[in-house]
Amino acid sequence: MSAHSVLHIDDTPMTDKYSVLLPTYNERENLPIIVYLLEKTFSQANIDWEIVIIDDASPDGTQDVARALINVYGEDKILLRPRSGKLGLGTAYIYGMQHATGNFIIIMDADFSHHPKFIPQFIRLQKQHDYDIVSGTRYRPGGGVYGWDFRRKLVSRGANFLASTMLRPNASDLTGSFRLYKKHVLARLMEVTVSKGYVFQMEMIVRARQLNFTVGEVPITFVDRLYGESKMGVSEIVQYAEGVWRLFVTV
Amino acid sequence: MTRATEAATAGAIALVIYIAAWIGVIPLPQTFYEQILPVLPWWSLVSFGAYSLGSIGYHLMTFEDCPGAYQELMGQIQEAKIELSAKGVPIS
Repeated sequence: MSAHSVLHIDDTPMTDKYSVLLPTYNERENLPIIVYLLEKTFSQANIDWEIVIIDDASPDGTQDVARALINVYGEDKILLRPRSGKLGLGTAYIYGMQHATGNFIIIMDADFSHHPKFIPQFIRLQKQHDYDIVSGTRYRPGGGVYGWDFRRKLVSRGANFLASTMLRPNASDLTGSFRLYKKHVLARLMEVTVSKGYVFQMEMIVRARQLNFTVGEVPITFVDRLYGESKMGVSEIVQYAEGVWRLFVTV
Repeated sequence: MTRATEAATAGAIALVIYIAAWIGVIPLPQTFYEQILPVLPWWSLVSFGAYSLGSIGYHLMTFEDCPGAYQELMGQIQEAKIELSAKGVPIS
């Protein structure tokens, strides 16, 4: 037996834990199913996980469903952290992060537009290159969107072209919200990000470039809201253009 | 440096070079001066426009619809509902 193998007692790195933040508002129907799919994905891939549900006082009984899920999966896996009202996505992430025990944070929508099956790919890519952020992208080969008509695709492509040209970030899907972050990286980004609403995710990835964080990308399929309608009217487009301009002159 | 500052700097440099060529500070062949210089800004603009339309058009054409992802998800939602009901989670 060589000296090396004797001395080499423990070569397993500190185990990584992944905390999924799920901000919810009236997601009684979707929440159990997304939790089911997440649990299945994580246990099949042998990944240490937890889900932090940040519910903004949904009147539809989302929290009752969350408590039922805690009974099934355990309170070490499902953390219900309600808030008193609709307080916005940015503060939901900060609040959720305070309760998360993982060293990685996964952000996704609870409405099935983001499928948990991609998370193991995010994790693999992150480990390969030690990326600070891995972002899902609908715009790279292998990715795509279900449920968009021609007009919606045109608006999306045009908007993405505008933002990519003006902001030149390190990512192809600026408004995507299916991402894996190192916890301290997300915390840093939350400190400097000021936008709300539609521009929020875009500012995060643009700030990531400014702060020299590394970004990897995984193509994802995006199944557009099955139960809600996704709004993309004139006022959303104007709001988006204003957001791009603000980032252009400030970041 | 913000992207706006970068863009303004690049624009200013291009403008200075163009004016220098225009007023003869930079010596140019006669043909270039008479035939190319006057149309150069418009040529740039049209080229950029064509590139933009081409880029958006190409990516629009290659935008995947992924019906398979939808079918897969529908099946998994049904499966999840059955499993969760059996475990006592209220499913509507």
